[in-house]
Amino acid sequence: MDKLKFYVAMAAAKLSAVGLRLLGRNASYLPGLIAVTICKNFIGHLEKPETLICVTGTNGKTTTSNLLNTVLTNSGEKVTNNSFGSNVQGGVAAALLLNSTFTGKHKNRIAVLEVDERSSLLVYPFMAPDYLICNNIMRDSIKRNAHTDFISHIINSAVPATTKVVLNADDIIGAQLCPQCEKKVFFGVDALPPAKTEGMKARDIVYCPKCGGRLEAEYLRYNHIGRWRCADCDFASPERDYLVTDVDKAAGTFTVAHEGEAHTFKLVNDNIVNIYNFCGAVALLREIGIPYETIETAFQDTELVKTRYDHIEAGKLRITRILAKGQNPVAVSRTFSYTAKCPGDKKCLLLIIDDKEDNVRNVESTCWLYDLDYTPLKDPTVDCIIFAGKRCKDHVLRAAMSGVDLSKIITTDTVKNCSALVDTQKYQDIYLLFENYWLDEALAEEKRLVERGESGT
Amino acid sequence: MTIEVLFAEVCNLCGDAQNAEYLRQTLPDAELIFTPLTDTPYFVGHTPDMIYMGNMSEQIQRRVIGALRPYKDRLQTLIDGGTVMLFTGNAGETLMKHISYVTEKIELDGLGIIDLTVKTDWFKRYNGKTLGKCGDLDVLGFRSQFSMVYGDNAGNAFLKVERGIGLNPESRLEGVRMNNLFCTALLGPILPNNPLFTEYLISLTGQTAKAAFRPQAMDAYEQRLKEFRDPKTEF
Repeated sequence: MDKLKFYVAMAAAKLSAVGLRLLGRNASYLPGLIAVTICKNFIGHLEKPETLICVTGTNGKTTTSNLLNTVLTNSGEKVTNNSFGSNVQGGVAAALLLNSTFTGKHKNRIAVLEVDERSSLLVYPFMAPDYLICNNIMRDSIKRNAHTDFISHIINSAVPATTKVVLNADDIIGAQLCPQCEKKVFFGVDALPPAKTEGMKARDIVYCPKCGGRLEAEYLRYNHIGRWRCADCDFASPERDYLVTDVDKAAGTFTVAHEGEAHTFKLVNDNIVNIYNFCGAVALLREIGIPYETIETAFQDTELVKTRYDHIEAGKLRITRILAKGQNPVAVSRTFSYTAKCPGDKKCLLLIIDDKEDNVRNVESTCWLYDLDYTPLKDPTVDCIIFAGKRCKDHVLRAAMSGVDLSKIITTDTVKNCSALVDTQKYQDIYLLFENYWLDEALAEEKRLVERGESGT
Repeated sequence: MTIEVLFAEVCNLCGDAQNAEYLRQTLPDAELIFTPLTDTPYFVGHTPDMIYMGNMSEQIQRRVIGALRPYKDRLQTLIDGGTVMLFTGNAGETLMKHISYVTEKIELDGLGIIDLTVKTDWFKRYNGKTLGKCGDLDVLGFRSQFSMVYGDNAGNAFLKVERGIGLNPESRLEGVRMNNLFCTALLGPILPNNPLFTEYLISLTGQTAKAAFRPQAMDAYEQRLKEFRDPKTEF
């Protein structure tokens, strides 16, 4: 009966994919949703690729998945992936079924699937990953992800003991994931400047998970990412198997050491969060046997996807658009911090970071704004801040509480045409920070700015 | 004025830490005492003017109950004596009679100061908003919780609910007020989101103060109040 359901689900899903494509729409989610709705164990019935890699964690999933796809594709593999689709159960099912025959036989040798942490229980029991990489576990949307204990519990309950896990040793929460898995590889970034011992006030771990004693930071990079040891017992951050030992921003390279060898790669982006993503990707690729030379070559051709980061010069204007994942205080804090350090001694920041859906017939919870670190906006190079969106008044209050000079702030409660508020005669370095779901609007505002830059208006 | 902030290093899950910061900015001369979970609370040997504790994970909640249990009688004395206390999110649950952690299969008695019980289920997340009256004040805020509270708070509710839910989806009375103790499931920035309530809370200590960044806070509050009252806004 279950097998019959599977074939019905497969037929319906494949048919829906054809229909969606004929309509010019993306078939990266709905076919999978249809399949798992008809047959709960649909993913379980599918033949899996020879090597199944899953990517999870709070931040960095998409960047890491894209990087893995690029390197593997460059090495001659045809990779099953959900890079352009959804990372929940339906998206995973869609990626697998679209690369399977009607009988469920998988067409490719390898798959890289990004899996939302919350979907772990709906995915891993039906497909055991050979490898699972997790870049970090930290506070995220409180509505969906609650807290790190909850997310860790879900992942630990779902991942099979046979999976080899690749974990960030500098994330003291993520490094403890999957105690049931014997095969573990750790990566991290060495104590390169500007390491510090004080981070954000709101941290997701303070006490030792082993004895309850106080954890002490050897150094911190951001939030709880850094090196820790317990003051009262032998608990400490695990040793790193793959370690970034050097980041040369001027040369645009970073170096990874592993088992006495050191290899240098192109630094695709110098944001610390991405350096962790890159190191994790290198570790995983080496674990599946990809030669260093192949990885190095592929990194040369790699860029962050344009939907997440782009830099355009138009006339006198230098416009940089950066993704700032809304309702995710750590991710947006990192983007604020990164932007403050970006080039330009008189920057204008245009911020479209409210949740799109939650402000339609609803009122977005502003709790996350109170975990968000606004202090980078005090940087003297930040001369103008434009908050665009329904929650602009809340941003003003938060910025005020953080000591931001209110005379620098402009607000508008509508996103459309918010770039008109940018004084392009006064500001040449413009940073457009946007929430994922505002991508189309952010691109439209970027285009308007480009046009103004080119026309000199 | 002395304000004790209990266990701020771990009771800060949804932006709650900024309530203490807002008090600091509203009362620049106040002394804020941050007591870590591993220390004896200041209130054990002293009488602060105000005690604040914020939202936390369930694992931390169990540790907090353990940390406060030896001081149950002292807390009761302070409540009876009129010390102002604000417990946000699930912090107030620590004072209740009993908590059932359904997913983790743990049963635990709270301090038993409040005659209500709690059921916490990691697979039943509730996200919502509540608007209600505390006397003449409109108090509003957000909720994201695994727990629901059960029992009778008809005689000592914090808010009469205008929109949203109370202790649980069947209740129209939110939270608990016992003398000057306020326990509410509203979490995160309840004080900056409610500048008038902040001023009221401070007035209960016998002082008067204007909420920090009052014009900006009132602007945001009034807009949100309008949005919460808009019939088109879904709760």
